[in-house]
Amino acid sequence: MTVPLPKQAYPGRILPVTLPAGPGGTPVTVGGQNALSLAPEGEKPNAAAIGMEVRTGGGDLPPALAKAFECRATDPVSLAGACANDWGAQFLFLSLDGCHPDGGGQPVEEGARIVHEVLAAVSCPVIVGGCGEEETDAKLFPAVAESAGRPVFLSYADEKNYRLVGGAALAYGHGVVAWSPIDINMAKQANLLLSDLGVPPERILIDPLTGGLGYGLEYTYSIVERIRLAGLSGDAMLARPVLCHLGDAWKAREAVDASETSWGDAVLRGRRWEETTGWACLAAGADLLVFRHPGNVEAFREAAWR
Amino acid sequence: MALTALDIYKLLPKTNCKDCGFPTCLAFAMQMAAGKAGIDKCPPASEEAKAALGAASAPPLPRIVVGTGDRAVTLGDEVVLFRHEKTFYHPTAIAISVSDALGDEALEERLRSISALSFERVGQILAVDMVAVRFDSGDPARFAKTASASLARCGKPLLLSGTCAALAAAIREVGASRPLLRPPPGETAAGAALAAAEKLPLAVSARGIEGLAAALAAARAAGATELVADPKPADAAVAVADSIFIRRLAIVHRAQEIAYPTAFDLGQGFPRPFEAACLLLSKYASLLVLDTADPAEIFPLLTLRQNLFTDPQRPIQVDPGIYPIGKISPSSPVLITTNFSLTYFTVRSDVEAAKTPAYLLIAECDGMSVLTAWAAGKFTSESIAALLAESGISGKVDHRTLILPGMVARLSGKIEELSQWRVLVGPQESSALPSYLRRLPPAAFVPVHG
Amino acid sequence: MGDPGKGILRFLPESASVRLSPGDTVLAHAIRSLSPEDLRAGIRLACRCLPLEGEVAVTVLPESRPARLSAYIEGKEMAEDGPFLPLHVVPRKGIPLGAALDAGTSTLAGALIDLRNGSVLARTAADNPQMACGEDLISRIVFGEENPDGFPLLRNLLLTGIEQVISGLVRSSSVEGEIVEVSAAGNTVISHILYGLSPSPVRRPPHRPVLKEYPVKTGKDLGIVSAPSARFRIFPSIGGFVGGDIVSGILASGMHREEAVTLLYDVGTNGEVVLGNREFRIACSSSAGPAFEGGEVACGMRAYPGAIESVRIDPVRLTAEWTVIGGGKPAGVCGSGILDLCAELFRAGLIDRAGRFVPRGRAPFRETDRGTAFVVVRAERSATGADIVFTASDLKSVVRTKAALCAAADALLRAVGLPRDKVERVCIAGGFGNFLDLRSAQTLGVFPPFPMKKFVLLGNASLAGAIGAIRNRKRWEEACTLCSSTDYHDLSSDQGFMELYQRALFIPHTDAESYRGNPLPETAT
Repeated sequence: MTVPLPKQAYPGRILPVTLPAGPGGTPVTVGGQNALSLAPEGEKPNAAAIGMEVRTGGGDLPPALAKAFECRATDPVSLAGACANDWGAQFLFLSLDGCHPDGGGQPVEEGARIVHEVLAAVSCPVIVGGCGEEETDAKLFPAVAESAGRPVFLSYADEKNYRLVGGAALAYGHGVVAWSPIDINMAKQANLLLSDLGVPPERILIDPLTGGLGYGLEYTYSIVERIRLAGLSGDAMLARPVLCHLGDAWKAREAVDASETSWGDAVLRGRRWEETTGWACLAAGADLLVFRHPGNVEAFREAAWR
Repeated sequence: MALTALDIYKLLPKTNCKDCGFPTCLAFAMQMAAGKAGIDKCPPASEEAKAALGAASAPPLPRIVVGTGDRAVTLGDEVVLFRHEKTFYHPTAIAISVSDALGDEALEERLRSISALSFERVGQILAVDMVAVRFDSGDPARFAKTASASLARCGKPLLLSGTCAALAAAIREVGASRPLLRPPPGETAAGAALAAAEKLPLAVSARGIEGLAAALAAARAAGATELVADPKPADAAVAVADSIFIRRLAIVHRAQEIAYPTAFDLGQGFPRPFEAACLLLSKYASLLVLDTADPAEIFPLLTLRQNLFTDPQRPIQVDPGIYPIGKISPSSPVLITTNFSLTYFTVRSDVEAAKTPAYLLIAECDGMSVLTAWAAGKFTSESIAALLAESGISGKVDHRTLILPGMVARLSGKIEELSQWRVLVGPQESSALPSYLRRLPPAAFVPVHG
Repeated sequence: MGDPGKGILRFLPESASVRLSPGDTVLAHAIRSLSPEDLRAGIRLACRCLPLEGEVAVTVLPESRPARLSAYIEGKEMAEDGPFLPLHVVPRKGIPLGAALDAGTSTLAGALIDLRNGSVLARTAADNPQMACGEDLISRIVFGEENPDGFPLLRNLLLTGIEQVISGLVRSSSVEGEIVEVSAAGNTVISHILYGLSPSPVRRPPHRPVLKEYPVKTGKDLGIVSAPSARFRIFPSIGGFVGGDIVSGILASGMHREEAVTLLYDVGTNGEVVLGNREFRIACSSSAGPAFEGGEVACGMRAYPGAIESVRIDPVRLTAEWTVIGGGKPAGVCGSGILDLCAELFRAGLIDRAGRFVPRGRAPFRETDRGTAFVVVRAERSATGADIVFTASDLKSVVRTKAALCAAADALLRAVGLPRDKVERVCIAGGFGNFLDLRSAQTLGVFPPFPMKKFVLLGNASLAGAIGAIRNRKRWEEACTLCSSTDYHDLSSDQGFMELYQRALFIPHTDAESYRGNPLPETAT
């Protein structure tokens, strides 16, 4: 009995995007495939890239991360070094949350200085995330874009601030992460706006907003699948690599609460909570995953279909 | 692939006789196109229409039931490849293994830890569904005893993995509970004969899709009808590929010879079982067998399953209630809006942008936006007054001033009549909230006494 | 607050009188937001006022209720009216006359017909006096529910308006005769009120009307003094939000007699859409607001003299040029002018695809308390003596309205599974439809991307259908079957609608590719 394998061909192809590295570093290229993830079909020149988040803000660490980071938790520059050099992160996502008025309120110049130092300390590609506060970010992105010293990606541009972030990226040769709130149409809209502004397509990543496990992950899952299906079906504005930032996984009480003993060990559970979120995003089609737990970076880099 | 409502409509009598319970033939056709009605509801339909539309609505993936009663587990019976196309109906069953080689005390402990794998999240109980009993002892009587103890202790449907001799022994003890039989690959035909004789569901194992198709054919030839397919992959990558291909063959290609629910055994040294479990939950597995009973691993897996098997067509809602934003105090402003998630997230981010700590009251409006909810009578003076009285917000702030969305300014008078609250009409657009909140005089929120 | 229940402002009819602080005027309903000029003049919105004590005077400002009424939009005569077969002719003194009425949410229009030969003797229009109780239908139902005798009051206001139209028709025609037939096309809420039924059930899911068909009554039964012996035929309703005015519009479009699939838009205070042909029809009501009637927009006004009806933006100076209905200085911008304005701002690169202003060059933008605003007319050139500005929030209203209209048609197409290219004709009805610049409409993406040659402007199709029913009784019989053979599609329970709407909340549309061929904005720098 022969059963022909139902391999699926698509008319579209995801645009390859390269995150540039510093001197001596390895750039990260994602995209380029013409098939869905996981199924062994089509051409998949690049595996999903595994990165780590480094935050500049303080705040209590979940038990799982406190154990994994040990003493490096407070200093973003040395944590960045550990992520890139010891833990195998292919790229870093540097979140300047320390500049948020509620998160320490570091001056914008301080944020830009940390970016500069991290870029000097590591050679891997870097995505720089704003603090999430509109007015601060309006000053932060231009400052970071100017002082970065080498090309990075700025995260993120949405339909409100795309002129500012896209403009800063264009002026200094950076890339842009186009963000939208779990909505395929808004994802496309953000890309259209950036394209109207003249940002080259090979310098854009899509961030569809990643809900953590148990807290909206299913919406992200379906939006990533739909973005990917649309891109492979020929919608050029959506035929771009998708970045899933798993940070929200750590906002779940289930990932951090050590007092619920019936939920099992909080150190393992926290790690698994993030890992589960990551696998689901990978299955849906994500091209870049941003973790906080070093163990998960290892698990994903060793995954069988790479 | 699927027929459109107009395609179906053209085959219907077009008499608007209403026998189907819908006002017109077109309305009925739209229900059929959405898979919510079948041609059997249309008595006057022609034989030609019944033939054409009956075949189109047959389920592409059969439905297999394991166990009995409330805890019976349904495998298969899915209609789409991607959950956004409709929904996934039957959550992947998770079975935790028990070896019949365990001593009595260890068995008891193992069954206790399996029973403990139950968690409550957002009003649902998440628990593992089945116990998979493995025949490791070489003694069919012991296997039967372990199966019996597992059923008695956990009350969950059983997956019985063992030789036909062991299965036959266990069936005598627990056959009435409708276990799923899983003979080794070499005993497919004998296992199928046993399943056929006992009218029990059978998991057919064979490596790869080709091998599986042959084994399934052999099982059918031996009389078994309720089948589950186990492609016995070597690792996670092969497992996911097999699972994707089998589902595609069933849904897209309607390849009946392979269109069965799938089962994967991720225990007994399967490499990287947690990774495989996450991916197979995402990609179509009907049943997973796991050796781990660690709640730190099972809880995230059950949560992923809960997420993915939620109906995606349900509007995205947030839970109604009180949401504090920033470092709130008893004099913080109180704003109200509906539980449509986009509305909530927009208002929330605009309040955050204002840097004014505030309470956001979320009203239950079936996930509708402010104007829609008002038009539908869900966001009314009465419902808002009731929320003010019942939400407990009065205990959190010492003032009695509510900021109402500008779109429903007209509700303000009545709210004031019905509650002890004063109403300030906020801006029409959420984006104007930052400047609105910053300009609010503190006197707007003076405490009330008595 | 002092005594609850005393001195609280709610939506009050025009005649109600309460007093605020001396010198203050209060707008009775939130028809528009207030400009700084209004505030300086002591004008406030009733819904945003807390009276200090005692009674407050509520006035409906003249500019919110048009002082002057020009001839209301005429409907295109039906292409194929069939033989003359009047509904009902009884020999009486003088000429037997028929009156066709279009009872709209904001305007009541009528035509007088000579039943001997079918000729139209006169046409007239008047404001619907119910406007004082709320601009939209939901507001009126709420008014009826929340005020003692609210519905009887709404009914009396409607009857007053109808009397005014009928007597106007009789006055303006020189013939001696008696009105023996009246066909009235109105939305379900207005038809219910006219018939003396409560429209309350329409507001709540499943939005079903009390009655879909209204057995014939005489003018006397209904309480209409000016045509006591006339037989009133109220057009049947399809659903709660798709009423007899749409049935009448379908009649006028002729879609129910043709093989070709037609998409019919009725753009008024609400926007209704019907898709179909002689085999099937499906209708829905979009949640579009009245932005294209000049509502919901600060500088908006209805299409009366003094309204800007078309706009061009000078590509170099980036300032607006305009034409005014009746000439003279402009007082505001009407629907077609607003559409033109947005399309021109978009073409000039002053609006981005997300519907946000992009101030650039020397374009006349200024900050207002309602956000950034484009100055359409400077104070010295306006009839009001203040700048006529188009604000960021006005722009949002327009984008939302156009998105709701576009998505409604897409939702119907998807519900029946019909691809866009199978639609052979797109009819635009409603007051706005008459003056619409299709190029502007499609620059913004008001309608799905159909080729221009498929569009047909029908004008006031409800009135045209009502006239047709008076002239030809076959048409009336068709109307009576249309209400049950046309499906009502409830968008609020259509789970895909929000997504179609979100897609359309972009200029021209998120599926930008399908609008290719439409003019795109010049690159803004």
